[in-house]
Amino acid sequence: MDWSFQGLLLEIEASGLSAFVRQSPSMLGFPTIIALHAIGMGLLAGTNAAMDFRVFGVAPGIPLSALERLVPVMRWGFWLNAITGVLLFLGWPTKAITNPVFLLKILLITVALVNTLYLRKEVQREFAAGAAAASPKAKVLGVVSLALWTGAVVSGRLLAYTYHYIDASFDPR
Amino acid sequence: MDHYVQALHEWLLSTPLSNAMKTHFWAWPMAECIHFIGLCLLIGTVGLFDLRLMGFVRRVPVSSLHRLVPFGVLGYCMNALTGMVFLTGFPGQYIYNPAFQSKMLFMAGAGINVIVFYLTLYRRIVVIGPNDEVPVPARIVGAVSFICWMGVIFCGRFLTFYRPPYHWCPWC
Repeated sequence: MDWSFQGLLLEIEASGLSAFVRQSPSMLGFPTIIALHAIGMGLLAGTNAAMDFRVFGVAPGIPLSALERLVPVMRWGFWLNAITGVLLFLGWPTKAITNPVFLLKILLITVALVNTLYLRKEVQREFAAGAAAASPKAKVLGVVSLALWTGAVVSGRLLAYTYHYIDASFDPR
Repeated sequence: MDHYVQALHEWLLSTPLSNAMKTHFWAWPMAECIHFIGLCLLIGTVGLFDLRLMGFVRRVPVSSLHRLVPFGVLGYCMNALTGMVFLTGFPGQYIYNPAFQSKMLFMAGAGINVIVFYLTLYRRIVVIGPNDEVPVPARIVGAVSFICWMGVIFCGRFLTFYRPPYHWCPWC
């Protein structure tokens, strides 16, 4: 096995799963994978936005403790997109890994997920202390959350316009 | 009918907006980004409300969740506007595209459904507190709304794969 950068990319692109994502003429192949990726995005980023809006004070009737009930919806979105995202990566690994925007997207998602964990922890701590409204600290985390998830969505969408190479032959597009 | 569709197609192509979408490289990607942010706003608020009606997220009171709906309306408006921008840019890629036609049907379904909801069920539903059972008609309305919006996203992503002149759909 060739352990060089190009060798690994060629190895992935030669695999059956990669070829399926890239070449299957079935509508259950790439088209369904990319459609599910958009639905997962809506569930994950959208539900995070809903949580942020509550933290900002919109819909104060939602108890802070009940915000944890939104987490399963986020989890569904996350796993749907983790699976479809890996499939899309396997289909075009060179296209993704050689594009700085893809690396930015992964970074934004990672930081956004950690930020969401912090926000949840902060909100539940404040609820346990008897608060009905979120503190300025939680609101700052909410603003950061909105910015990070928006950045993740935008950088994901821009992948279609910013790539340099399509596959490990490294022919310029 | 074909005559009117053709006239609409040609008029859209003749607009300055159509021209701008083709001459400015970043115009299309920027509109796409707004379209996807709008999608998230819609699914995160209206989609969540639908899930609540269907019986998920029960600890959240229906009336409070309804306060988030204006953000869904904002997302809807962002997407309606950018959607019309796409249509104006390359009308031929949409008007004759079965995925686009299906997307419009799902949107009409969601539209009729939301009108039915506000005319018949809203006043009874909005008083439902945490952990209360949602009546069956409201569950159905929630499920129809959720399915329609999922259909809109699916067809939206499928547009690329049914671009004219390649034509395939069960009814054509």
